Amino acid sequence: MHNAETSHEHKPNLLQGVNVFIVLAVLTAIEFFIAITNASLLLISIVAILKAALVMYYYMHVYKLADVDKHLDDPHSYEHKLISNRFGLWLFILSDAFLFAGLLTARFNLAGLTRLDLDQELGLIVTAVLLLSSFFMNRAETQMKLGNNKGFVVNTALTALLGIGFVVGVVAVEWPDAASHGITASANASSAIFYMMTGMHAFHVITGIIFLLIVLRNGMKGLYTPEKHWAVEAATVYWHFVDLVWIFFYPALYLIGRLA
Amino acid sequence: MKNFLSLGLVRGLIAQFIGTLAGGLFVTAIRALMGLPAFDKFFFSEPAWVFGGLVGALSFLVGVGAVTDWYKWAKGEPTHEHHDEDRRWQRYFGVSLDHKVIGIQYVFTALVLLSVGGLFALIFRTELSQSGLQFLTEEFRIFDQNGLQFYNTLMSLHGMIMIVSILLGIAGMINYLVPMMIGASDMAFPRLNAFSFWVAVPAGVLLLSSMVLGGFDTGWTGYPPLALRAPVGIQMFYLGVWVAGWSSILGGLNLVVTVIRLRAKGMVAFRMPIFVWAAVATSIITLTATQMIGLAFQLVIFERLLGMPFFNVQAGGNPVLFQHLFWFYSHPVVYVFVLPGLGIFSELLPVFARKPLFGYKWVALSSLAIALVGFLVWAHHMFASGMNEYLRVPFMYSTLLVAVPTGVKFFSWVATLWQGKIIFPTPMLFVLGGIVVFLLGGVTGPPHATVSTDLHLHDTYFVVGHFHDTMFGGYIFPFFAALYYWYPKAFGKRLDERLGKLHFWLMTPSFLILTLGMMRIGLLGMRRRIADYDAMLGFDVWHTILTVAAYLIAAGILVFFWNVYITAKNGEPATGNIWNSRSPEWQAPSPLPVHNYDKPFEVVGEPYDYGLENAPYIKTIEENEAVSHA
Amino acid sequence: MRNVRHIVTITALVLLSTYLTYVGLTSLGLMPAAASAQAGPIDWLFDIHVIVMSFLFSLITVILVYSLVVFRRKPGETGDGTHIEGNTGLEIFWTIVPLIAVIAFGIIGADNLRNVRAADPNALEVRVIGFQWGWRFEYPEGFSSTTLYLPANKQVLLKMESSDVLHSFWVPEFRVKQDLIPGRVTELRITPTQVGEYPLMCAEICGTSHAYMVSPVVVVSQVAYDAWVAEQVVAYEAELLASEGQPDARRGEQLYTQYCQVCHSLTGTDGTGPTWKGLFGRENRPLADGSVVALVDEEYLYESIKAPNAKIAQGFNINGMPSFSYLRDSQVYDLIEFIKTLE
Repeated sequence: MHNAETSHEHKPNLLQGVNVFIVLAVLTAIEFFIAITNASLLLISIVAILKAALVMYYYMHVYKLADVDKHLDDPHSYEHKLISNRFGLWLFILSDAFLFAGLLTARFNLAGLTRLDLDQELGLIVTAVLLLSSFFMNRAETQMKLGNNKGFVVNTALTALLGIGFVVGVVAVEWPDAASHGITASANASSAIFYMMTGMHAFHVITGIIFLLIVLRNGMKGLYTPEKHWAVEAATVYWHFVDLVWIFFYPALYLIGRLA
Repeated sequence: MKNFLSLGLVRGLIAQFIGTLAGGLFVTAIRALMGLPAFDKFFFSEPAWVFGGLVGALSFLVGVGAVTDWYKWAKGEPTHEHHDEDRRWQRYFGVSLDHKVIGIQYVFTALVLLSVGGLFALIFRTELSQSGLQFLTEEFRIFDQNGLQFYNTLMSLHGMIMIVSILLGIAGMINYLVPMMIGASDMAFPRLNAFSFWVAVPAGVLLLSSMVLGGFDTGWTGYPPLALRAPVGIQMFYLGVWVAGWSSILGGLNLVVTVIRLRAKGMVAFRMPIFVWAAVATSIITLTATQMIGLAFQLVIFERLLGMPFFNVQAGGNPVLFQHLFWFYSHPVVYVFVLPGLGIFSELLPVFARKPLFGYKWVALSSLAIALVGFLVWAHHMFASGMNEYLRVPFMYSTLLVAVPTGVKFFSWVATLWQGKIIFPTPMLFVLGGIVVFLLGGVTGPPHATVSTDLHLHDTYFVVGHFHDTMFGGYIFPFFAALYYWYPKAFGKRLDERLGKLHFWLMTPSFLILTLGMMRIGLLGMRRRIADYDAMLGFDVWHTILTVAAYLIAAGILVFFWNVYITAKNGEPATGNIWNSRSPEWQAPSPLPVHNYDKPFEVVGEPYDYGLENAPYIKTIEENEAVSHA
Repeated sequence: MRNVRHIVTITALVLLSTYLTYVGLTSLGLMPAAASAQAGPIDWLFDIHVIVMSFLFSLITVILVYSLVVFRRKPGETGDGTHIEGNTGLEIFWTIVPLIAVIAFGIIGADNLRNVRAADPNALEVRVIGFQWGWRFEYPEGFSSTTLYLPANKQVLLKMESSDVLHSFWVPEFRVKQDLIPGRVTELRITPTQVGEYPLMCAEICGTSHAYMVSPVVVVSQVAYDAWVAEQVVAYEAELLASEGQPDARRGEQLYTQYCQVCHSLTGTDGTGPTWKGLFGRENRPLADGSVVALVDEEYLYESIKAPNAKIAQGFNINGMPSFSYLRDSQVYDLIEFIKTLE
């Protein structure tokens, strides 16, 4: 039977994380290029879905859900609870995805195929920051699986820092900038949904940062091992989910549609 | 006093009060510093109430102790696996990790809300019994509302309080029954289970507080733009629902993981008790769709607080968008309301007919099919809304389609009775009554599905009759059936049979008169959500009849409460398998031990093989037996 | 065998019950009078629904009750029921047949909707404005009315808009219904077929007095309608002419009864809106935001009528008063003239 835990493709591998990041970065650049040239909704959507698939497979290791039939005989064992916890986490993410899908639906219902005149440089920068944070998050988790606690701590700290950078970039730079150009929360429905989407997303980033800080502190106290680090895995998957949402929000807000 | 304060509920409520005050004062201080008006008609400004309400709800959770263990985990401290040996009555008023206690907590809270919602209905039904305003007049004044406004508040809260009551009632049934039915000692996530229950209490407080903060007039659907003009009370309404949603989402999550991961050995999917299938289908809906009502309400909360014009056409907004988001949840949720109850029918009929459930696999899958199709019909609530014309016909087809899996259930129930050996204890009466009432609800659905007829029926008492039929038939009746049936399992005594039958015979004919009467006047022009109607319409006699019927239904429910009370005092003991059921929980003593089953069991046969010799369903795994690995 | 006897008995009972239920229900007269062309197809489809409802209700209830009687456990009887797990053929049958019925209803329903929506390119267009808590109708000839007069047997295309919140246009005798949205125009086509007076009732909760947002719809013959229109035009033109002169307090009083009386008293007691007694010329009138109007003059009253949210009186709320920006200036000055007379 194919064992997801130890197959070659799924062994903890720092280089794989780097490669995936490079592909994600290139795809983002392609996305931006498409947006500048012909802003094709279809092409941009395809790129976004590709990025999402990569993150879900290599960073969030969604294939581990196939383990749902394992360790059923001993419900009190660590392994059993781990698999149950993982399944529960993914159900939570499924639920949260509905919220963000609703926000996307609202955006297209209210603004159609028009978009706001946002600062594209800023948009690219914060996107890059968040993508990079996912790279370090993956690295942190991989270091934990390889038994390198120090590597885990450093990379988790970097992730949290970049996460803070993202929030600052959106809330303290992008928002005031947009507002100074008339894109305020109360100006019109399109600007209102922009703030609601970025606001709800930033809220999730902040809760993710808090989760990371908790895991960072506990990691520094030596609480996690390669065999038992569920909190790390949970924080990781949640963090990547937050990045996943932005993979769709970024083109929806910055790239798709003609200027209103 | 110290005993009183040791109760989690009390600490939680005190914490909620303090938290609301603190949150409100915080916002008030900021507003004062910013030069904005700090106070308003109801002391705090609206933003202060909203923030205070949220902080209050979170404070409640801290105060009751629902997040204590998670906080310890965050600090890196271990918590011991709680083996709940506490058997005092106090355990019902605080955080318990035992799904049986939580189930009873849910049921109790549901019954409290049922009573409150029912009381509101009796008040406005009394006003409605005659045309003209009798006591809810324009001169009447309460909580800053005149009679007409207070009517709207009562009518609106009746709807939402009943809805929350139903959600808690089904959570009670599901949390209590599913672990014992699948042979588990508890849910997959006991702490999450406790949290899911306790979060509903501050939510209920928020909902009810809307009444004293000016009320609101939109009905339970909370549509803008009217919602934008409502008093502060509507924010408490939105916030209360938003917080209550967490109970649904997390409860659904817990159930799905529990069923996937904690079933007894040999309990493959099609050997689970049928109620578990119903619970899974229900939980898939609550886990996902609930986010949409949270989002819809959140958008209005923020439009009010920050002027974000999501639903203001002049600023590019779209009131119909609210309806799409709202109904994307609110239609599937009606299947949440009825799927567990329909599961109860399927569960109990075999026991009382002594026959297998007819077409078990089809019935099991029909629950999933109803849940799936239920996601595809929402816009049938919006045929007159001004949404895109071309959407109407597709939604008509999808709406009609729900009849197919629902029909599978009805035919199965009837076929299960056929050639049975039927007895009629109280639970069976409620099952049969429920089937007939739900049938009435079901057949009055298609006239709403076809768009042209719906244009006449929409927003009339015909709709009100239809959904009361489906709600009573799909929830209230089976809920009482379940209470009468599993009461002995929970408490080791059985409720009085004669009082049970009295409850049934008081409630059922009255209810049928109520809904048939509603549908009659609805067709003839009685709009819904109106405090008064023209005497010229000739509805006065009907309304008086409806009001009398409502009081009789209430009387039936009071008989039930009386029954619970006297049974607690000196009820007939019932510690064994009094229904002679094959279901796992009845093979163990009543009440169940803390961990449900002293020894695990293995499934060796079909759940509903009544009428077959030597065909056990489960077999206890003795310790000295080798446990074979599949 | 025994099963055959059961089936024959049940079939007879179901058919009987269906018939009795259907006849019983329809003899009650379920629908109000049908007074529009749209009511025809709708009532026809509803009748089909009643037949199906009678049948389905009978089918299940009869077999249910029959089983409860025939298969009940008799006293002293032991043992279980017959061990029947299911019947795949039956399951497929009662899945496919309802599915076919669903599709059939869908086709019939779609066709029915098409009929109901049929558009007459020569329809009479009337603008409908719904507001908290009344209706106003603007006719092509330019005049307004608070009663909807319609000629029989001519399709009217209602172009509807709300001034404030969602409302809904519904006359039970006409059957069809359509919401009114603020900021958008929605349409509804009705062809009244019977002369008479019918209640137009708002069918979407719109606030405190939703129950009372009712107006008469008067359907008359084409001849009578033309006469009414002519009358209205004459009155309208006369009014236009007269109002080109000086503001007139008596015209103002008429406008008061038509538009303002619902909320503003002349007695000195505030109601939904402030009382008009002693209003004109008042000094230092307090506003809700704490500021003060130095003098209640014509300019202030003009603004208060056309843009009421600009200055809100103390004790009242934003959006408490709808805007009357659609009144002509001359009408507003007539009202002000009337207010001046109220010492």
